[in-house]
Amino acid sequence: MAEQLATGSRRGLKPALPLLLPAYLWLTVAIFLPLSAMVFFSFMTDLPLAGKEWAFTLGNYAAFFSQGIYSTLLFASLRLGLEVTLWCVVIGYPAAYVLAKVLKGRSREAIFLLVILPFWSNGLVRIFSWAMVLREGGILDTALNAVLPFKINIDLMYSYPAVIIGLVHSYVPYMVLTCYLTLQAIDDSLIEAGRSLGASRVQVLWRVIIPLSMPGLIAGAALIFVPVVGSFMEPRILGGRTGTFYGTIIEDQFVAVFNWPLGAALSFILLAVVLVILALAAPVLQRAG
Amino acid sequence: MRMPRLTAFVTATAVFVSALAAQAAEEVHVLNWKGYGADEPWAVANFEKATGFKVVNDFFNSEQEMLTKLRTNPGLYDVVMINAAFNDQAMAGKLIQSIDVSKLSNYADIAKDKAGSPMLNHDGKVYGVPWVWGLTAVAINEKSFDKPPTSIAEMWDPAHKGRVIIRDDAVEAVQFGAIASGQNINDIKDMEAVKAKLTSLMPQIKTFWSSENDWNQMVASNQIDIGTYWSGSADRAKTHFKLPVSLVIPQEGAVAWLDAFSIPVGSKNVAGAEAFINYMIDPKFYVEWVTKVGAPVSANTKAVEALPEDAFNRKVMGNPEVAKRIQFQAPITDEQREKYLALWQELKVNVK
Amino acid sequence: MATTRILEWLGRFYIVLLLAFLYLPIIIMALMSFNTSPFYQLPFEWTTDWYASLWQNDQLIAATWNSIEIAVITTIVSTVLGSAASLALYRYEFRGKKLLQALLFPPIAIPWLITGTAMLIFFFGIGIGRGLVAILLGHVALALPYVIVVVSARLRTFAPELEEAARSLGANQWQVTNRVTLPWIMPGVIAGGLFAFAVSFDQFVVSYFLSTPGQTTLPVEIYAAIRKGFTPEINAVSTIIIVVSMALMLLTARFFKFGGEK
Repeated sequence: MAEQLATGSRRGLKPALPLLLPAYLWLTVAIFLPLSAMVFFSFMTDLPLAGKEWAFTLGNYAAFFSQGIYSTLLFASLRLGLEVTLWCVVIGYPAAYVLAKVLKGRSREAIFLLVILPFWSNGLVRIFSWAMVLREGGILDTALNAVLPFKINIDLMYSYPAVIIGLVHSYVPYMVLTCYLTLQAIDDSLIEAGRSLGASRVQVLWRVIIPLSMPGLIAGAALIFVPVVGSFMEPRILGGRTGTFYGTIIEDQFVAVFNWPLGAALSFILLAVVLVILALAAPVLQRAG
Repeated sequence: MRMPRLTAFVTATAVFVSALAAQAAEEVHVLNWKGYGADEPWAVANFEKATGFKVVNDFFNSEQEMLTKLRTNPGLYDVVMINAAFNDQAMAGKLIQSIDVSKLSNYADIAKDKAGSPMLNHDGKVYGVPWVWGLTAVAINEKSFDKPPTSIAEMWDPAHKGRVIIRDDAVEAVQFGAIASGQNINDIKDMEAVKAKLTSLMPQIKTFWSSENDWNQMVASNQIDIGTYWSGSADRAKTHFKLPVSLVIPQEGAVAWLDAFSIPVGSKNVAGAEAFINYMIDPKFYVEWVTKVGAPVSANTKAVEALPEDAFNRKVMGNPEVAKRIQFQAPITDEQREKYLALWQELKVNVK
Repeated sequence: MATTRILEWLGRFYIVLLLAFLYLPIIIMALMSFNTSPFYQLPFEWTTDWYASLWQNDQLIAATWNSIEIAVITTIVSTVLGSAASLALYRYEFRGKKLLQALLFPPIAIPWLITGTAMLIFFFGIGIGRGLVAILLGHVALALPYVIVVVSARLRTFAPELEEAARSLGANQWQVTNRVTLPWIMPGVIAGGLFAFAVSFDQFVVSYFLSTPGQTTLPVEIYAAIRKGFTPEINAVSTIIIVVSMALMLLTARFFKFGGEK
């Protein structure tokens, strides 16, 4: 199998346009233009509704830096995103490997589909189910006490671990499937060659398999990290009083008070930070691979 | 249950816009909280049978969202349910119109203090018809108490550590703190006292609730002892869902709110809107609502009198002693709201 | 090799564990649809009442059909458009390519609440208004980045020489794409489509802003219901959906190959 090349083989935007245009036109109408309106709002003192006075300001962005609570929460959210992503790698990558390299035939196709199926149910109903599992006197508590000879109290509900469990559950399929896509593409003969040359399993994993599957790992990590940083639904319900994150305060600006300019500014700061992190992380990961 | 045609979407942009314009005149579009009286199937059926109008319900999940829906859909709604404290803002934003109350035969029976509320009347015109009122008070899990507590201080009792809940709402939390620190909810002088009270409550709290369902699930699984709750919801939990919940109106007082119906500017069916509002304040509807579902207290005195003597909404909520303790919510400015939110966010962040 | 055998069995066991983790909440959801208490109260008391009342709940059923319909269309449209865009991003080198790739992240990074509000204002401003068309417009846009990112990840393992070789053998562009490239990226396209369906089917916030009273989706109905009237009818309808999809998926896996096996 040939070397894995990431870059395109041909130059020019013109031949690419027919393939690119439909998707990006759609994104422009449904996302980019609406969001530009939000960018516009984020520089306003007030919304131009109901005859209110408004002016241009940088105050909404300045608010982020003048009040410690915003950066504290953004930091907490980034940490949450990182932890959830790492857990998803730890749990998802081995599963993707087994799926790609151990399982064969129909069972592989079936499991490929079954991994994503739980997410065709409603997110909120799933969270309610987690509440049943994690709470004191819940399923986990009862089951463990039935097995263990000594009495323990498991009450994970409304805690940080509960938020992690809920989020990892929601996002691990992304990691499994994206890693599968690149792991499956690795030619088995490459692995065998490495082994026959005397490399240990760990060396083959480290030198051959992980580098070749890196695009899948990066794609999976981005698809997990990015939305988790802005999440507020799972943290609120599973985290209870510890469930306040950056997404929560953005939501508050829209739902509790009518301060869209501040809410928009806070979300664009989030976007900027996330993009910077992705831009920094991707090359580092590529090189590590 | 018919599978809508797949192709309908593809060409539908123009069709949709024109369909909106050509909305049948006999429909009454109602905007309200979900599961809050106006969407009860039996009520809708009774109203439709009596008047020939067809009811279309739409819902909101917060007052801000209700205002957003009115702003972005002029002409879509005929009736909107607005908390009296927001009526002012809706009128100032030219979202609602004045109501000709002479068309509402039940209007004369509305309690004078409610009908005459300055929150609903502007320049001698009526902008909101009082519907129901209720309390944000305290409710208890009956399994955890031999005898219902009388003081709000019970929530700070270390015996209930980790088994207390309050709603995740900045305004409600701050006003609750005001009551606990013995202040007027509409004129909080000592914000530091409120903050201190709430800060010391935080370690007691299990989680914040945001919907009635949260409260009921937690009582059903016996995870909480006590928490803030709405009077109508507590009544519904007890009578309709048979949960061990009872409402306590603490000696320190409670926050009272008044919900009213308004007619949005641009309504295409004002006659239908008037008929619907009149039906909503009718004693017959109210008694059925209380009996079948559980409801807050009607603003219509005749409707409350139609309840049995010992009904909670008549006996407890109608008690003059209670009336003395409660404080009705007045309008809150955007600045105050943002200040409350900042305080609430700070409290929630520092709990970690 | 004995070690390989053991490792392979451990691997299979691990997959079973992962599936158990993924399906745990789904099993509870299904069990609660047969429990009498609407508040997930235990002890468990068997009932089929929720299924009976679901049958009467026209609004919930109509919303479910809407959701399925929108999710299916979203999946098809976003998979086709997204795969095409991924191909272009893979094949061609041009100025601004990095920007186009970076632009995939705003829809994922900006909380849906803000995107939804922005769509509501914008669609209202340009006359699309609210309704199923608007919801569909929004869902496809939200799903596209997922499809493009996933398909691109698969494309990165594709050797461009294969396309060149096919071309040099006289195949035209369409034949190259159809016979060489598409079969290779098929697992990526399928995975992208599965994500697109999940994104659309469970999408609440954007649907919520863009739905009108008669035209809502299942998640909108569910979120409206938890305020006051949540009942296990919702568990019942979710259970039916999962069971039917599972049957469809297992059938698909029985008759089609798409995992990229050579």
